[in-house]
Amino acid sequence: MRTRLITSLPLLALAVSAMGALSAPVKTAGGVSGTITFTGTPPRMRPIDMSKEPSCASQHPTPVMTETVMAGAGNTVQNVVVYISAGDQAGAAAAQPVRYDQKGCQYVPHVLVMQVGQPLEIYNNDQTSHNIHPLATINPEWNKSQPPGTPPIKATYAKPEFITVKCNVHPWMHGYFAVLATSHYAISGNDGKFSLAGLAPGKYTITAWHEKFGTQSQEVTVSASGTVTANFVFKALPY
Amino acid sequence: MSRIPLLACAAEFGLLLSATGLLAAQAQTMSRIGNVTGNADAGKREYRRYCVGCHGPAGDGLGENAQWIDPKPRDFTAAVFKCRSTPTGSLPTDEDLFHSVSRGVVTTNMPSWEPLTRQARANVVAYIKTFSSRWATQGPGTPITIPAETPANIESILRGRDVFQKMECWKCHGPAGHGDGPAASTLTDSKDNPIRPYNFSTGSRFKCGETNADVYRIFMTGLDGTPMPSFADLMQPNDAWDLVHFLRTLQPLQTPEAAIWQTWLPAHAKELKPLGPDQGGR
Amino acid sequence: MIDWSVKRRGGCRWVWSSALVLCGGLSVGLVSPAAAIARSDSSTNVTAVNRSGNRDRAKWEAYILAAGGVLPASAGLTLAAHKTAAIPAFARKYNLPCSACHTTWPELNSFGQRFKDRGYQLGNDRDSPIWVNPSYIPIAIRTTPGWRMEQTTHQPVDVVPGDGASGTVERTITQSGFDISGADLLMLGTLYKNITFGFVPTIADGEGVGIETAFVRFDNLRRSGWANLKVGKFELDNMLSEKRSMMLSNNGTFYQSYHFVPVGDVTNFGMGDNQIGAEWMGHSDNSYTRFSVAVLSSVDGTPGLPSGKSYDGAFTVSQGFDVGNLGLQRVGLYGFMGRRPTVFETTGGTPIPGTGTGNKSFYRFGAVGDFFLGKLEFLPLVMRASDNKDLAGGTRDATWNSGLLELHYYVNPQLVFTQRSEIIRMSNQADPATPKTLGNIDAFTFGYRWYPIMFSRAGLALVGELSFTKTIGTVPLSGDGVGFAPLTSATAVRSTSLLLALDFAF
Repeated sequence: MRTRLITSLPLLALAVSAMGALSAPVKTAGGVSGTITFTGTPPRMRPIDMSKEPSCASQHPTPVMTETVMAGAGNTVQNVVVYISAGDQAGAAAAQPVRYDQKGCQYVPHVLVMQVGQPLEIYNNDQTSHNIHPLATINPEWNKSQPPGTPPIKATYAKPEFITVKCNVHPWMHGYFAVLATSHYAISGNDGKFSLAGLAPGKYTITAWHEKFGTQSQEVTVSASGTVTANFVFKALPY
Repeated sequence: MSRIPLLACAAEFGLLLSATGLLAAQAQTMSRIGNVTGNADAGKREYRRYCVGCHGPAGDGLGENAQWIDPKPRDFTAAVFKCRSTPTGSLPTDEDLFHSVSRGVVTTNMPSWEPLTRQARANVVAYIKTFSSRWATQGPGTPITIPAETPANIESILRGRDVFQKMECWKCHGPAGHGDGPAASTLTDSKDNPIRPYNFSTGSRFKCGETNADVYRIFMTGLDGTPMPSFADLMQPNDAWDLVHFLRTLQPLQTPEAAIWQTWLPAHAKELKPLGPDQGGR
Repeated sequence: MIDWSVKRRGGCRWVWSSALVLCGGLSVGLVSPAAAIARSDSSTNVTAVNRSGNRDRAKWEAYILAAGGVLPASAGLTLAAHKTAAIPAFARKYNLPCSACHTTWPELNSFGQRFKDRGYQLGNDRDSPIWVNPSYIPIAIRTTPGWRMEQTTHQPVDVVPGDGASGTVERTITQSGFDISGADLLMLGTLYKNITFGFVPTIADGEGVGIETAFVRFDNLRRSGWANLKVGKFELDNMLSEKRSMMLSNNGTFYQSYHFVPVGDVTNFGMGDNQIGAEWMGHSDNSYTRFSVAVLSSVDGTPGLPSGKSYDGAFTVSQGFDVGNLGLQRVGLYGFMGRRPTVFETTGGTPIPGTGTGNKSFYRFGAVGDFFLGKLEFLPLVMRASDNKDLAGGTRDATWNSGLLELHYYVNPQLVFTQRSEIIRMSNQADPATPKTLGNIDAFTFGYRWYPIMFSRAGLALVGELSFTKTIGTVPLSGDGVGFAPLTSATAVRSTSLLLALDFAF
């Protein structure tokens, strides 16, 4: 079952980029890939105290850490959304729903990428109530309660936006919806690597977004074949 | 297909587009309250006179007094409103805004502007809608339907008590409705400002009204911009009315529900399981 | 100190002061036109030029004065013009701009009217003092420094200055210069939810401290807006509030109708003066419907028990109408029925305060409106008034009519142009021999108030005002100085006030 497969972020990223590649016209095999790193000292991730919600705390033998900046070896950064922000954005929204889970009072995945108009399904796998409160500013902001055992909440977003998601009952729960206009996107894994495939030849602006580090863009020219390299280096401000 | 019909088609489409644009722009600068039509230009004058101190000249909730006020004044540029008759995430109707302006918001600095003429209030509503382009691109949501109230009896109140437990209202509002649930101290609104859950024991009125239908509407639409979510997908109307009846017993008011509850309670107090984290309910 | 400003009724200098206490028993008005020259009371620093007239009458006037010690015997004294309203302490408490409660301060708009009616409460659960920032102090101050010019025609002066025997000739007297008003300390607020207090001491140079307002009000009795009880010294619930007058010049600051009494009349009463008593006031939720009924000591706001055992009664009632684009329109009726003693117990010939009997009555009735045509506000008022013959000093009751129309044009909440026209016409003189026109008044005022800054902590207005009065056979009502009646009772005395001032409330 597909939803079972997508339990880890790199897998999801691969899956969605594959989907993106599939939906694009398969004329050429141009692409962009790169690695995302940062310089400076990253904010330290802190353990989360879930003692107020025993049903979740019991699922985590060791304390869960915050997921704001997930750094890998060699200062690579995970959870960076890389996408085409100008140039051929390749069309229609994917019809397959994307899945967002609340499990152990955490959002899985931490950053969920979807296309404009793509169906979103939000599941509560916990034995406690959550309220899903995506703090959209361009799209409508809504806030719905989801007690345990209730059907998934379904939604779509009509406009591109990076949306903070929070649960007011469990203030440590923070996640993001990345709603994109393009079908060409990827999310970096723990090794900081990303890859956009299936791009028609031409000029593109590629943007990398990170919840803490912000956004960076660069222009690339994709030829009919071969992969262009585009690396991003974020600067971690000292805190 | 020849070129000309295509052009004509395009022209027609363009016309249509501009026409809808015009309509949208018009809807944005007007408001409709019953038989009163509010006008944004006139509303700007009223806004500058009455509202600007808190909500700011740009409508962003950053007026000169905003720093002294808690909860903070509404930011109209976000077009997110607590008191709506429409589902969560949708824009409120003109009447919703009109009622908020007229009623004021208890436990906040927003007073009731009822002494202003209906026309003046309608004008203000029209002007408030110019601060966000959302009003031009989206219409207001469709108001939820509130079916006729079910009879308020002890069974309904007890069922409502179960709903209160099951929906985990107590997480924020506390087992006794005192606004002291386990999550209460951590709540923040959409702008990350601390916010307190409603304490049922303090007053008769809610932020969005005081009737049973108002209470029904509050939890079925949610208070957008605050931690209070919508329960519309989770509750059937009879559940919702049951919850309304139970909530009335938490208030220091002489309501029919409170009377029924107080009559029933002394003899049956032991039958009740405590509300809250201990898997309570009946 | 001689405060020798022309114009009757003085002593209060340029204080917007009721200050009956302060002014003592000031000018007793013109005893008779034949006297031709005003006299004023010796308890102030003003020189009485001539003192003649009806001896008997003078005698019991003296009784009254002596009895009260402070009981003013003429409307002159009652020119109570402390402008108490516009209270930035409330703006600070509730974080609202001046314009929320005032059309332009000090005049209230419908929102401010309801705020006041509720006992200075907004009704949003933030009224009780427990909600107030601990550093908040419910005090505001209002004062008005500026430059002014006063001119009065037909003033009888000695032909040779300093030589009282050189004969008398009429001249126009002009005075001008920078001046300051007294200051009002506005302390009003809530002691607890639904218990309101008001205390307004006034300070004026050379006049010490007076108590303009002091009351406690129990609001929303039995949770009803229709039941509010106020006890103390306060302004009557006049729709056209003199305390909130937008005009401040010597001639313009008063509603002539509120203070006029016929020449020779000893009634001490001013509708605009703060009165001492108890008031029952009620209002609908939005304050569109309002009424008040008050029982007051017959002392025109003078503390102590200087007068008799009688009481005055007052009522007001008004209704507002929401007329769409035009705005809120309001019409009202008012009435005041008062009594004043004419006889006192004496000991060793000296009257004993508070023992007045032989009460004689007077009344003021009328209608008032407040109409909006968009930015233009019309405030008409008409009045029918009568004083008993024993008060008016004649053989029949004195009656008169008056009317005024005030216009405000609000360019925006920070600029208003004002204009008022007022006339008073005697219909019956107490003494049939008195010319019917004696005492008639025509008054016109033109002004503007510009509020260059407006925020929620304090307010400042630049005031410019020009006010003309024409009074027949007497001197104009005025906030200060003492003027003199012309040599003949048919002479029209014209008076002009020009004021350029900074009015600030902080």
